[in-house]
Amino acid sequence: MGTATGIIRALNSGIKHLAIKRFTLRYPEEKLKFVGDGYQFDPSTGVGIAGLKGRHMLFHDHCTGCQLCSIACEGVAEAIAMVKVPEEQKQNKKSIMPQIDYGKCVFCGLCVDACPFYALYMTNDYELSSFTKEGLIYTPAQLAVKPYLTQDSEIQITDRGATHG
Amino acid sequence: MTMTDIMPPGLALKKVDERIMTLNVGPQHPGSGHMRIVVQIDGDYIVACDPDPGYVHRGEEKMAEYRNYITNVPHLERPVIHDSCNVLYPYVLGAEEILGIEVPERAKYVRVICSELNRCIYTMYWLAIYGIFLGHSTMFMWPAGDRELLIDLMEKVSGARVTHAHFIPGGVRNDLPANFEDVCLRQVNYFEKRIKEYAAVFYDNPILISRTQDTGILSRENAIRYGTTGSVLRASGVDYDLRVKAPYDVYDELDVHTNVMKEGDSYARSKVPWLDMIESCNIIRQALQKMPKSGSVRTKLKPNPKTKGPATVYKRVESGRGSLGCYIVSDGKTEPYRVKMSVPSFRNLLAMPNLLIGEKLGNMPSVYWSLNYWPVEADR
Repeated sequence: MGTATGIIRALNSGIKHLAIKRFTLRYPEEKLKFVGDGYQFDPSTGVGIAGLKGRHMLFHDHCTGCQLCSIACEGVAEAIAMVKVPEEQKQNKKSIMPQIDYGKCVFCGLCVDACPFYALYMTNDYELSSFTKEGLIYTPAQLAVKPYLTQDSEIQITDRGATHG
Repeated sequence: MTMTDIMPPGLALKKVDERIMTLNVGPQHPGSGHMRIVVQIDGDYIVACDPDPGYVHRGEEKMAEYRNYITNVPHLERPVIHDSCNVLYPYVLGAEEILGIEVPERAKYVRVICSELNRCIYTMYWLAIYGIFLGHSTMFMWPAGDRELLIDLMEKVSGARVTHAHFIPGGVRNDLPANFEDVCLRQVNYFEKRIKEYAAVFYDNPILISRTQDTGILSRENAIRYGTTGSVLRASGVDYDLRVKAPYDVYDELDVHTNVMKEGDSYARSKVPWLDMIESCNIIRQALQKMPKSGSVRTKLKPNPKTKGPATVYKRVESGRGSLGCYIVSDGKTEPYRVKMSVPSFRNLLAMPNLLIGEKLGNMPSVYWSLNYWPVEADR
């Protein structure tokens, strides 16, 4: 194949893309849809349930304050600290619950694997940016809030290429 | 007498002649990665080269001695975050042998699928950087975009776009989501169609061929002598792929084809990973077909598992860059006594000084990046 033919073929291959749909996800307007409600773990079978490893969600009525999540995090990120829960809130016998510092968390989900009481799960919420370091520390009360999410964009493969629709 | 005989690679910093100028490429140079390459040039020709890695050393191996076999997982995958499943793979295989646990059959197939997806994700990232180093902006944009198809799949499986922390001693963290087989097949097929289009724009492009052909030739004998692995070794005509030669998990049940090129130049080294990606798509399709449709994917394990006593184990896998080994010594405690990783990046780097001698300085990026070198993995 000659040099001229090769260059024309290369250009032609690029020109074809004028007719191909845009693949880029326009992020704040469009958001990717994930499978399930976040990464969860079933202690009875010892296997997780697929989902995004995003912000945690703490179920106060299940948490016993056993500190296993905090111990699991010790070797990874040291992001989980056990803190006293205010008296007016729902609490366990020890009245301690995990508080998670998202400035340190690596979102590996080993704390979810460690929880034997179905109390700590992960959600599809990944927009955690904050102007201060303190804003990244989520107290047990903040962790109990279910995130409000509008994620509906998925990769679709059409005759004119892949696109987010 | 060749240049190599006059100046062995280690002595590149020695002053030789007035004509010779010493240049530092890196560590802040975008073309070098996190490392420094000291080159001595005579006019436009490189007469000596001394790679200087070590700028991103994190002490991963030492850190592994203070964590148990489970909590080692998130940090041992950090050296190559795009290829995190393959980096973890030998450690996980070794830890399973030390802890004495069996892996369910379905988990092995899930691991193979994740491993091949990660190989493609890594190679696409590598290809994007290789393209932009050679000034080919299209080859930067296309792989960086098409990579998203596979990252989306890994995100569905593991819940993270990079650093999946998905492999764990005993299997994988979670089962595949519902309807994953169809989505995976659709996206992998489209991905394969897309990467085949790269041939016209990149691999058959006369400009790329004139820049990379016959530069940095690594002969078959030298490739073996320097201990290179992976795509670099296969580009020099050695048919060596651990997935075929020493199959792990279920690779022996799959039909794996090895891509070998005889030229040993930069062009061959850049083409072999691309051919490997097409082969990876075949392996994923085979694995999806042969995978048991149901069953457990993880052997139940305590968060702090006990070992069965002192043991040593060495496991290796074929990663995106070559054979990646992990040597684990256990003294019977819950933490490993020593974890040593034998990484392909560092071995491929050893060949670099000899490839660059006699080349033009302008050919340095094409030779350097064709070695499939990832600085963070070499330093770990």
